[in-house]
This record gives sequence, C-alpha cells and structure tokens, in this order.
Amino acid sequence: MRFTSLFLELTPLVSTFFPAILSLFYDFGRKWQNFIISILAILTLFFASIFFTENFSSSFDVHHFFDIRFNKISIFIGLLYCGSLFVGLFPLRHSQTITPTFLFYVANGLGIILANNLTTFFIFFLLQRVIPLKGFFREEVGGTYFFQHVLTGLCFLALMFLAYQQGLLITPMSEMPSTFFSWPVLLLSFVIVYEAHGIFPFHSWVHDVVGKLPWYEFSAIFLCRAGILIFAQLLLPSLKYDPDIFKLTLLGLSIFSSIYWSMRGIVEFNLSKKTTYFYIAQASLLLTGMQADLTALKGSYLHMLVISISGTSLFSILSFVQQSFSFKRRSQYYGLAIYYPKLATLFCLFGFCMIGVSLGPSFVVEDLVITGLLEYHQYLGLGHVLATCLNGVLFFLLFTKVFLGPSPYKDQPLNMDMSLFEMFPYLLSLIILFCIGIMPSLFLERITW
Amino acid sequence: MIENLFLAIFFTPFLWILLLAFIFFSRIKLNELILSEAVKYLSLLMTIFTAFLLGITFFHSPAFLLLDYPDWIQVGTYQFKFRFIVDLLGATYAFLASALIGLIFRFSRNYLHREEGYFRFIFLLSIMLFGLMIISFARSLDILFAGWELVGTTSILLISYFYNKPQPVYHATKAVISYRLCDMGILAAAAWAHLYLHSHDFTVISRLLDHAHGGPGVVVIGLFIIWASLAKAGQLPMTSWLPTAMEGPTPSSAIFYGALSVHLGPFLLLRFSEYFSHFPLLLLIVGAIGFCTAIYASLVGRTRSDAKTMLAYSTISQVGIIYIEIALGFTNFALFHIVTHASLRTYQFLRSSSLIQDFVENPAVEFNSSIKRSSFFENYFSIELKKKLYIHALHGFHLDFYTYKILNMLFWPFKAYIQLEEKWMESDTKLLKMLLRKFR
Repeated sequence: MRFTSLFLELTPLVSTFFPAILSLFYDFGRKWQNFIISILAILTLFFASIFFTENFSSSFDVHHFFDIRFNKISIFIGLLYCGSLFVGLFPLRHSQTITPTFLFYVANGLGIILANNLTTFFIFFLLQRVIPLKGFFREEVGGTYFFQHVLTGLCFLALMFLAYQQGLLITPMSEMPSTFFSWPVLLLSFVIVYEAHGIFPFHSWVHDVVGKLPWYEFSAIFLCRAGILIFAQLLLPSLKYDPDIFKLTLLGLSIFSSIYWSMRGIVEFNLSKKTTYFYIAQASLLLTGMQADLTALKGSYLHMLVISISGTSLFSILSFVQQSFSFKRRSQYYGLAIYYPKLATLFCLFGFCMIGVSLGPSFVVEDLVITGLLEYHQYLGLGHVLATCLNGVLFFLLFTKVFLGPSPYKDQPLNMDMSLFEMFPYLLSLIILFCIGIMPSLFLERITW
Repeated sequence: MIENLFLAIFFTPFLWILLLAFIFFSRIKLNELILSEAVKYLSLLMTIFTAFLLGITFFHSPAFLLLDYPDWIQVGTYQFKFRFIVDLLGATYAFLASALIGLIFRFSRNYLHREEGYFRFIFLLSIMLFGLMIISFARSLDILFAGWELVGTTSILLISYFYNKPQPVYHATKAVISYRLCDMGILAAAAWAHLYLHSHDFTVISRLLDHAHGGPGVVVIGLFIIWASLAKAGQLPMTSWLPTAMEGPTPSSAIFYGALSVHLGPFLLLRFSEYFSHFPLLLLIVGAIGFCTAIYASLVGRTRSDAKTMLAYSTISQVGIIYIEIALGFTNFALFHIVTHASLRTYQFLRSSSLIQDFVENPAVEFNSSIKRSSFFENYFSIELKKKLYIHALHGFHLDFYTYKILNMLFWPFKAYIQLEEKWMESDTKLLKMLLRKFR
C-alpha cells in the first residue's frame, strides 16, 4: 500500500499549520482545546496506520529547497510526537488553557520530523525556536536561550554554506557523501545536535525555558527530537568513518550530561524543574545508545518510545494535580497520595517504566544499551550505569516529594482522582509499555530502518 | 514434570499480580476477608509447589536442572535468553520465601485488619514473592537483576507504607540511595562478565575462568558482586539504612529485614561461590567485611533501646557471620544458617510488637530484673574504655556523618559549577536586556 497522493503527504503539516495561522485572526476560545486534541488524535492514527504498513517510504519535493519525506524513522518519531502529546493532553482537556500558539509548536515540530534536507530542517527548527522569544523579550528574560540559539543558528548557516559549496544543499540528509564530513562539518553538527538536545556543555538554555513555558510547549520542543534526527540522518551513516576521538567525546558528553541533569535534579527544590531535569537526564541517554552499535541503537529507539510516552504522562499528571494544589507553597513533601491514590500509582508506574525496573520496557533498554556500549568502550558503559542509578534516585525523590509525606493542604476533600475514562489514555499507554517490557521482540522486530 | 512445576511456581504469582492490578484500577471493591483468604490459598499453593521442587532437588543433589527458553530479545548477534537453574540453593530459597511469605500473609490478616493500606501491602508482597522466585532460579546476572530490582522496589514502597508521616518517607529515601548505589554493582558485574568471559551464566563462569587470560578485569567482576551484595545485606559501609527501615508495618519488616531481603546478599555470594573459590583475595575481602560488620553491629545494637532496632542490628551481625562462613568456604553451612536465621528472625520480629504485653501478661515469659548482661571480654575492659566505646557505638561510630561528608565532598565541584552557571546566565540576561532597550 503506498500513500502517494498529495493530500496524504501534506496532511500533518496542513492540518496543523492551517488552523495555527487561522488562530491568529479568529478567537475560538476554549473550542481550540478540543480541536487541538482532536488533531493530535487523528495524526496519531494517521502515523500509526503508516507505521504498520510494511516497507513504506516516500518523498515529496514541493520545491528544491522544501523537501519532506516519510520513512520509518520519521513516521516512528511522528507517531511518538502526536501520540505522546495526545496522551498528555487528553485528561486535561476540560481544565488546561492551551493557547493556539501551541499549534505552531506542533506544526513546526512535525516539519522538523518530516524535513528531508538541511534547508527544510533549518526553516522549521528556526521557526519553532523563535516562538518563545516573543514572551521572553516582553518579560526581558531568557538571555541564555536567545544567545545559544543564535549560536546554533549561525552553526546551521555555516553548515549549509559548506553543503552549498559542495552542491549538497538540497541533497537528502541521509544521502550525504562521506567526503562531506570534514572536521568543520563534524564540529558544527556536534554543536547543533547537542544544543538541540540540551546536552552538556550546550544545555543552559533549558534552565531558561523551564518554568517559563507551559509543560506541553516545552514537550512539543523536546519531543520532535531535533538533535536525534540530525544525528540519526546526517551523522549516523558516517559514524563508522569518523575519528575515534570524536565518537568518544560525543559518547562521553552524552553520559556526563545525563549524570549532570540527574545531580542537578537531586539538589533542586522546584518541582517543575526537578521533573524536567529528570526527563532531560533520560533523554540525554538516547544519544549514547545511538553512537555505540546496532544493539544499543535498537535499545535507543525503544528508549525514545518509553521516555516520550512516560515523560509526557508524568508532566501531565503533575499538571492535573497542580490545578488543585499549588507547588509554589514551599514544603518538603506535598503528600498528595491521600488525594490522588490512583494518579500516584500511575506516576510511580510511569517513572518505573523510565528508570529500568524489571517488567518495564526500560529494563530491556538498559540491557541493550549497556551491552552495546561495553562492546565499544567499557568505562563509558560504567558511566551509563552510574547515570541510570542517579536517574532512579532522582525519580524516587521526585515521587516522594509530590505524593508522599505529610500533606500541608489540610482543608481539601479526600480522593480527587481522575475518572476511569480520563485515565484511559494513561492506562492504555501503560499496558503498551508493560507489554513491550514483557515481550520486547514484538517491538524490536519492527525497528528495521 | 519438573519443568511444569517450575512454570507453575513462576506464573502463579505473576498472574496474581496482574489480577490485583486489574482490581485496583477497575472499580471492583474487594472485601478484606476474600483477599486474605485468596492470599492464604495462593501462598499455600506456592509452598506446596516449592516444597515439592525442594524435595526433588534434595534427592538429586548435587545435580541440577537447567532450563532454557527461546530468545527473549535477539538483536543482531546479541541474544537474551530466559535461562533458569533449579538446584538446591535456589529451591531452598524459593521454599523459604514461599513459606515465610505465607506466614506473613496469615499474620497480617489480623495485624493489618481494617488497615487502609491492606490491599497495597498484599500487592507489594505478591510482587516481592515473584521477584524472589526470579532471583532463586535465575541462571544469569541479568535475569537475577530483574528479580533484584523488584524486591528492592517493593522494599522501598513498604518502608514508606505509612506515607503521610515524614520519617518513613525520609528513611525510604535513604534506602533507595543505598539500593541504587549497590544495584550498580550487579549491572556492572553483568557487563564485565559479558566483556571478559562472554557470558554471565553462573553455571559456566567458573569453567570460563580457566580459559580466561586473567588480569584485573576478571577479578573486578567479583568486586562488583561483593559491592552489589552489601546494600541488601546491610553490611559495612551500607549498614545505616537498615535499622531505620523498620518504619514499615512489622510483618513487612520481618519478611524484608529479618528474613528474605537481608539474606539476598549472602545468596548472591553463594551463587558465585564457585567463582570466588578461584580468588582467595576476594574471599578475604568478603570475610573482612563480614567480620567488621558483625563487630560493629553487635556493639551498636547493644546501645539501642527499642526492640526492632536491636533486632535489626543483631540481624546485620548474624549476616556478617554468614559472610565469614562463605569466605571460609562453608557454603552449605551458610545456606543452613540462612534458613535457620531467617526463620528465627521472622518469629522474633513478629513477636516484637507484643513484647511489652508478653512481659506483663504472658505467664510463660519470665522477666528477671536481676539478670546482668556482661560478657567474658567486658571484664578485661577498663571503665573509661567501655564509656568511650559506648558513646561511639551510640552514635553508630559516626558512620552517617562520614558518609554525608564524603557525599558532600563529591557534590562540591558540582555545586560550584551550578553557581558559576547561574552567574553566567545572569550576565546573558543582562546583555539581552541591554540589547532590547537599545533596539526599542
């Protein structure tokens, strides 16, 4: 089955960009919320239907400079992108005030995921990163975010200039010849990948975003996995020819970054920051598996699935809880398990899915990634083990702070849990995650790109 | 037949956990009596199954049965197979676990009657039972780690059983840090064994050692294993979390820190006993740790005034002695010691909550205030020395203080970097403000 019609090729971008532009002129009030969630649901089904179609691949060239394509990896990330945002936002559809700006994040995120060449990628990447600046400039904050993205933009332009010199500006990223990958190209790509993925030493912009953007906008930036896509499509095919010192630096920094974010989360008091740092600490490990070998690479794709769904669900649960309880009130513990026993359990289970507790999918990830890493470099494998251990500690600190301990909110009614219908996306995701954890081959067999 | 029995032992708790999870998320309200009756029959069934398996392995000992199942994961050349071993060590531990957990289920029916978290308690203990079955029969480190993590997680959640009080949560955090630090050891040992011996199958590791080129890599596997065993067994330097973990309900304290979880450290060492027999230096380290912990725990335990903490320290001390037995090569004796010690401690922990009542009302218990606690060695110590020893033991020989000091030292460069980063971000924001004002 081949989806070759123009309509299907452009569905993701048109269905998000068109309403996003429309939202600039018309105010539909709270109807937007349901509309955005419906779009996410439809796009999830759209990507899922293509993902389960065998050997699907297509490319749509609108103009020489604007090239989008559907292949297994873009469909997979697209599916995770829309699916995770849907799972996170569905339970909050009555209460959350999702602004129409969010659609711009989603549209550009999908553009990044589907971009086939450097130019298209750069346009969507730039557009997505520019959106928060309006608010930052108004409040005169976000200096590091601004300067780091200026640096990335310049690196991107330099990379495109080098590609232009060799006549490769509109060549698909995955088809770049090995002669293209000189030292300057590698270094520029390195800065772009690491900055886009929030990895040390180009991570500081994340501090500027946390707490200033709503969680779903932050997730929309992170879930499109710009750094991973550049890495997987541009750098990965050339990785075996790259100098060892380059690979070692990349791997070492990814692992160090995860350790850094975990430790930062452990010493942090602010809950939204703590959650974000936990999420980024996990996301940092994605690149380590990708750089090691085939075994670890497959582990990394599975990891991507786990942290996309679980991470968004954690944010979503916290956001739901925050509608009734403010975390601005400083307290050692918030003790919310009394009010939300089922949500506390779900939070705990999603966290366990991420930190490698057995029966969960991360246990498989750990096994694959650590084995793959050790084949490449034993001490880096040990570093990965340390990072995993610290992530586990950070998650437990996060869980205890939110749900355990004496509650400072004495005057609230008991049991304010979600209904079973509202919890349904969480439960369905959990069942999928645990099924993957118990029978990983079902998923791993599908990763054949 | 043995294989079917083995599968029944594995799948019974697993299906039970799935059923409980379904009940939790659906709106079914399960009556306490039905639940307690159900777990009673479950534990009885498990005890019969494991007793039968123990009987078979006992009469076939030292032979063992190896069970291989199809690949769980296969990526390229890498294969993860479900490999299990049914031997005397595993079958004994599985039987001990089933019998004692059954006892705890029965005890908690009265002890936790009408308790709000009774369902949670049963659910977590069922997961623990499943985890212990995995550990007992695991043939490789990665499968063992799966069970190890389940037991650790349930242990932490049961320490924080009374989750609306600050102390249990604080002590659960302390336990989680110790667990995770030592769990790294199993992962690292599995990785190192895979790298240097190309297998982490317990049954072939000692054979592979003869062909291995030696070197530090092979010895490091043993060091990681010793490190991994320390937290669960509460051995030095990972001792201080265990006595504080008694915040959970008494039945869970009994089963975790008196009986099953605390003996997983020696169990791991026993699984590797053939490997350790190649490295006397590693056995010396195991013995030294056990010896130091036994002395430390018995000294500190004597200064404690509450029954559960005293019992915790005496458990640690006994586990230290089991470490010494393993180091001396008395592996069968160590297994016997584990079984008897676990059974006795379970009894003592379960009785500890009614100790005062026993002294007051139970005529079978005689309380003689004239009994003076002293030992042969105490007579040779000067009073000054005894005083100093007492004060230091009262402070747990400042173990916590030095641990935090070391952790703080490790965090120092990191904290310094955070300050530097914050200053840098402030200067960025100032620069942005300046630029914005200029352009406006």
